[in-house]
Amino acid sequence: MCVMIARSQLNWSPLSRWIRNVLFRQRVFFSLISFCLFLPSLLPSAEETIPQKYGGQLVISTVSDPKTFNDIMAKETSSTIVTSHIFDGLTTTNAFTTKVEPHLAKSWQVSSDGLVWTFFLREGVRWNDGAPFSADDVVFTFNDLIYNPRIPSSAKDVFTIDGQPFKVEKVDDLTVRFTLPVKFAPFLRGMGQAILPKHKLKKAVEDEAFNFTWGIDTDPQEIVGTGPYKLVRYDPGQRLIFERNPYYWKLSPEGEQLPYLGRVVYLIVPSADVQLLKFLEGTIDIYNVRGSDFPYLKPLEKERNFTVYDLGPDMGSQFIFFNQNNGAHPETGKAYLPAHKLAWFTDLNFRRAVAHAIDRKKIIEIVNNGLGYPQYSSIGPGAGFFHTEEVVQYDFDLKTAKKILADAGYQDRNQDGILEDQEGHRLEFNLYTNAGNTERLDIAAIIRQDLENLGMKINFQSLEFNTLVSKLTSTFEWDAVVLGLTGGIEPHFGQNVWHSSGGLHMWHPNQETPATDWEKRIDELFSLGVQELSEDKRKVFYDEFQMIVSQKLPLIYTVLSAQMTAVRNKFVNLKPTNYGGVLHNLEEIYMKKEAR
Amino acid sequence: MWGYILKRFLVAIPILLAIAFVTFLLMRFTPGNYLDTMRMDPQYSKATIQHYEELYQLDKPLLQQYLQWIKNILRLEFGYSFYYNVPVVQIIGGRLWNTFVLSCASFLFTWGVALPLGITAALRRNQWLDRLIQFFSYVWLSVPSFFLAMILLYAASQTGFLPLGGMVSPNFEEMNFLEKALDILKHLAIPTIALSVGSIAALQRIMRGNMLEVLGQQYILMARAKGLPENKVVYHHALRNAINPLITLLGYEFSSLLSGAALIEIICGWPGLGALMLTAVRSKDIYLVMASMLMGSVLFIIGNLLADILLAKADPRIRYERG
Amino acid sequence: MSADKKHLSEFQIALRNFKKNRLACLGVVILGLLYVAVIFAEFLSPYSYKNENRNYSYCPPTVIQFFDENRLVWPYVYGRQLEFNAYHGRIYTIDKTQKYPLRFFAPGDTYQWLGFLPGRRHLIGVSEPGRFYLLGADSRGRDVFSRLLYGGRISLSIGLIGVCISFTIGLIVGGVAGYYGGRVDDILMRICEMFMMVPGFYLLLALRSAVPDNFNSVQVYFAIVVILSFIGWAGLARIIRGMCLSLREREYVLAARTFGLSDRKIITGHILPHTVSYSIFAVMLSIPGYILGESALSLIGLGIQDPFASWGNMLSDAMSIVRIKFAPWILLPGFFIFVTVICFNVIGDALRDCLDPLLKSEVKG
Repeated sequence: MCVMIARSQLNWSPLSRWIRNVLFRQRVFFSLISFCLFLPSLLPSAEETIPQKYGGQLVISTVSDPKTFNDIMAKETSSTIVTSHIFDGLTTTNAFTTKVEPHLAKSWQVSSDGLVWTFFLREGVRWNDGAPFSADDVVFTFNDLIYNPRIPSSAKDVFTIDGQPFKVEKVDDLTVRFTLPVKFAPFLRGMGQAILPKHKLKKAVEDEAFNFTWGIDTDPQEIVGTGPYKLVRYDPGQRLIFERNPYYWKLSPEGEQLPYLGRVVYLIVPSADVQLLKFLEGTIDIYNVRGSDFPYLKPLEKERNFTVYDLGPDMGSQFIFFNQNNGAHPETGKAYLPAHKLAWFTDLNFRRAVAHAIDRKKIIEIVNNGLGYPQYSSIGPGAGFFHTEEVVQYDFDLKTAKKILADAGYQDRNQDGILEDQEGHRLEFNLYTNAGNTERLDIAAIIRQDLENLGMKINFQSLEFNTLVSKLTSTFEWDAVVLGLTGGIEPHFGQNVWHSSGGLHMWHPNQETPATDWEKRIDELFSLGVQELSEDKRKVFYDEFQMIVSQKLPLIYTVLSAQMTAVRNKFVNLKPTNYGGVLHNLEEIYMKKEAR
Repeated sequence: MWGYILKRFLVAIPILLAIAFVTFLLMRFTPGNYLDTMRMDPQYSKATIQHYEELYQLDKPLLQQYLQWIKNILRLEFGYSFYYNVPVVQIIGGRLWNTFVLSCASFLFTWGVALPLGITAALRRNQWLDRLIQFFSYVWLSVPSFFLAMILLYAASQTGFLPLGGMVSPNFEEMNFLEKALDILKHLAIPTIALSVGSIAALQRIMRGNMLEVLGQQYILMARAKGLPENKVVYHHALRNAINPLITLLGYEFSSLLSGAALIEIICGWPGLGALMLTAVRSKDIYLVMASMLMGSVLFIIGNLLADILLAKADPRIRYERG
Repeated sequence: MSADKKHLSEFQIALRNFKKNRLACLGVVILGLLYVAVIFAEFLSPYSYKNENRNYSYCPPTVIQFFDENRLVWPYVYGRQLEFNAYHGRIYTIDKTQKYPLRFFAPGDTYQWLGFLPGRRHLIGVSEPGRFYLLGADSRGRDVFSRLLYGGRISLSIGLIGVCISFTIGLIVGGVAGYYGGRVDDILMRICEMFMMVPGFYLLLALRSAVPDNFNSVQVYFAIVVILSFIGWAGLARIIRGMCLSLREREYVLAARTFGLSDRKIITGHILPHTVSYSIFAVMLSIPGYILGESALSLIGLGIQDPFASWGNMLSDAMSIVRIKFAPWILLPGFFIFVTVICFNVIGDALRDCLDPLLKSEVKG
């Protein structure tokens, strides 16, 4: 803060505007303090004006309301998008290199066995209510929140290895030591976990009310974080307003205190079309461009003064997969899947034929207007380092597909136009996808058509997302599904999908022992991968894993859409990357003077 | 009269309970539950999900859950929303007000436009003005309202005259009172129009029909024969009697406004109850759905009651009987 | 018997009145054409509803050429080629070297007309690889005109079947409640109120999720019809009940009762027939609700499922400003919904006008 004052003394207007804002928010006490802090800076100093970067606002849109402001309880993007501005972790992922970097921790040491990690915290970091940040907060976040048996959270699952938690201890006010039960390669990346303030939440934990703390009905002032912005206002169904955190610790390379932008506003706009209209009209500064929007938006770039950034392939993936669950209902004893269907779906030839029947080129053309990428690897190109192209790639070829099916014994024996297996069962099955995602619906419909061209009979239905998931995770009665998952950089965080015991091992979940050799090998590779600290050695394991998936096709990947963002030409310092998108360096972005 | 009102409410209680129960059954017995979204997230273990099940009491027997809910209702606790993790009342509160604002606007607009139109059409029966009005009624009755909303938004984006969705402008707090009111009015325009045109068309036709019927009655002939000025005949004698039957409709309108708006609220970004309910139903946020359903039903009862009372006030022939 | 005769002649009067209403007659003609068209959808459409050619995504309507070098010739169409421009927009260029003459009774996709009569002739078509898109193509290069015809089959029938179901329920419940009165009436009317109280759209969603998802497309279609009609019957039941309450005091009902006819016979034979005139126009006016209801379900992806077409799911494809901008023809299903709904309303109104005297004599007289 002091740095900012020292450099901006001659320019009055944003300063007074800021004070006015503060006064208007009736935080009289706070504003008095800040006014006192400003007083010395009113004296002229030797330095001349530099380009004024502070102030201005950025307006973004989001499709739905946050569900909570409690980062530990936050489950989905509409909430985490909000909490990510308010809270920081000990480490962060560099958006350019995707390597882990210091954040709230300025450095760390690791013991030679890789089990004891010591983090040295940054000095002088303050919560946005002014209270100092210390090792106590880190210990509190882990021991009292994440490992609290009464608080359910996904963080607990990430930071528990074989049922054992990490040991988290305070060494001194600025040093924390983590002791791991076994080696855990994604540890450093996992330390991006948001740290929450002890002084604000201790009481809630003691009262066992934490699960319902910092819900959307909370007074924004109560929500205290170390991040660049703090929430000042939330109107349900309408918008979220953030203001810069005056205590934010990060400085720009020139030594100016960040962030520059005075306000960040999220407008809640449920309809993507209305978002587009609002962007064109000028209310919203950033719009996530779908492939189908591109031909409309791109020609307007100059006239409406914005830029469309193509950030490369999306992180999420879309795929089709078949039920290979040989189990039966524990109470009724009825098999989840009729034996003949199980026989088709566990037949690799069947899946290979399907893989050859996916017209990725046309999907990209039709769904994404040509702005997409075919996907073959189970770790997408967006993940960078761990992605490999060295996998089996199945080109679209109905002839080959038909031949594979015919050779494997699927033939049209009674000339009704539909294939039968060797026992004479018609190749007829249900294909589901979730309603509400038009792109995925289109992909599923195109796949359905090509499978019919192969001679299968498919009953296609889009179901409510929750209905579909309950089929996949609890009733297990389904045949084939087209679905998507979001991805990340760290392969191990996909373990719940790939490990045969995982609940999200969707084609055959919760296995006690791996049903096939290749699933067993994948389990081994994941165990090896998580215990190996050298990135290069890990990559070998995950490369083999990607190869196996492409050979055995439990999930048959389709296409990745191009991730594109349109931004109004009002901002300086935009450094869009594939991993971080446009806003990864939000705190460094400032508004052009003429736009303010 | 108070006895009558009380009686009506007492009769309604079993219906409300039945509605709640049926809603509850529908939510529980259809596949999928709220936690499924979490099950789909690679970062959640089974234990965590079980933990949530306990937290939300989803593991208890069905009837026990329902009875527990009823018990809480009697203490005016409507339960927690799974989705938002806060009491249901907290979420509904603000949105109910927004929906109420939209409903009122749409209500006033509908009745304010439809009644004069209906009267005009009836008085100029089969003249060109009547035909024009009837023609447009047919047109508006036939456009899906969500579609109309989208077209209107697009038109607004081309002209720049009206704001595109939402309830207030970004700089709302900096406005004075008058500007604030004007701002909300501007934002109201599109959803109100989209929501109203269909009902305007319908109501206009009913009004026209009623008016024609009344104008054909003998006492109107009588009044005319007596030499009363036409204005007085129409507005004093005919109008009152033509409007009376519409009052019953008012009660139904009251509750249907709350339910009809979901798609329009989503498209126009109006922060109302409809959009909230839609997601709640789809994501099986049981208590939120049940509380909203209950509220809708109560509004229905109140609306009908109001209509009955108004009718009794307007038409002395009607007494408070069970209706 | 004389009453019957009079009854008939009243209907004749009503019919004559109806014929005088030219707008309503136009409505009947349009609806009639639509129904005939969708019944013969397989024959009238150049392609099957699921015949897709991905090289013709959003292909604009084909222009039929009548002149070749200023000479009148047998109508033909040019071949077309899809390219993407620098902005990734679709550009269709006409390839004048490829000419495909229109053919009547052209062989094409095989079909089973109305499910049993096999055939492969289509009224009009061009030979492959030419494509004939009278009203343009959708995202996957399927013919919008063909899909409109097939979709109309679903949208136009959903109202008819739905109305049949909800009117059967409404008539029975209303008839029983009105005839017996008292406690039966009380209970039935409370149930009706329950249905009217619950906001219909959410009930629709909740019921939709109760539909078993291993249903095939025909079953899904009927499930949707049943759900839609399940929501619509309560209002009708109340009105029928009101009419029955007054009808049951009439002399002929009392007479029937003294003859010892069973209650069921009295209700079905002597009371409900007198509510017919009301029912007829109420039917007409409630059909649009089903068509619009299906389109609302389709909008959130829970209506008729691809590849089957309904006007509702075709319109939901068009709910995007960008798509309308580049391919305005995908709005056509909206236009067809619009025309159909108008027709039903106009006819319903006209029916009411000419049945009105009849209605009054039924209830009051």
